Amino acid sequence: MEEYHSGDEVAFSPDDASNVVKELCLCVFIGQCIEGIVGGVDYSQNKVNQWTASIVEHTLTQLVKQGKPFKYIVNCAVMQKSGAGLHTANSCYWDTTTDGSCTVRWENRTMYCVVSVFAVAIAL
Amino acid sequence: MDDDQSAEETAFVVDEVSSIVKESLEAVIGRNPYEQKRVNQWVSSVVEQCLGQLSKLSKPFKYIVTCIIMQKNGAGLQSASSCFWDNTTDGSCTVRWENKHLYCIVSVFGLAI
Repeated sequence: MEEYHSGDEVAFSPDDASNVVKELCLCVFIGQCIEGIVGGVDYSQNKVNQWTASIVEHTLTQLVKQGKPFKYIVNCAVMQKSGAGLHTANSCYWDTTTDGSCTVRWENRTMYCVVSVFAVAIAL
Repeated sequence: MDDDQSAEETAFVVDEVSSIVKESLEAVIGRNPYEQKRVNQWVSSVVEQCLGQLSKLSKPFKYIVTCIIMQKNGAGLQSASSCFWDNTTDGSCTVRWENKHLYCIVSVFGLAI
């Protein structure tokens, strides 16, 4: 049986080289949060509700702690591995010089997890 | 009366956004079955169409539109979002849509400029 290693696949949005993403270390946070909450566990219908809520809250808290002038949106989707196809897309209408996003795709043996963080600058 | 009208012009109106999303989904996907070759196109078209309609509203907002399409085969799917923003001016709208062959979740986030 093929072994799936968690955190092997990380997908980056085209913005990942932008200053915003680098400044906030978005991708690092997201990966750490997911691993901390669902690393090594199997998909469970009873717990998935809790997991998605924890991932978004934990990620958001870490971001806000940085104290930078941004509004944040954190989105998380967890899907059981059963052969179904899943496609996701994001589109943003904003200021490309100040705003940015990062999407991380993670998987283990029994589930996929896709987390997106959007950071929108606050005009000071 | 004037105050109410100008407030509506600069507020995030959930019903308005929800209709835009539903129209895009009907137009792009409609009753089509899940097709691996086309679904990539569909997610892109849905988000682009929604964004196009939203920007036509000419409201002072930045928008983020996300779309998930999943084939119906018994798998579980859970989605959550959390936002750190200004509760008085910003808003979101999530539409859960399905046909006989697939599920679709579209979320629109509007952040006041």
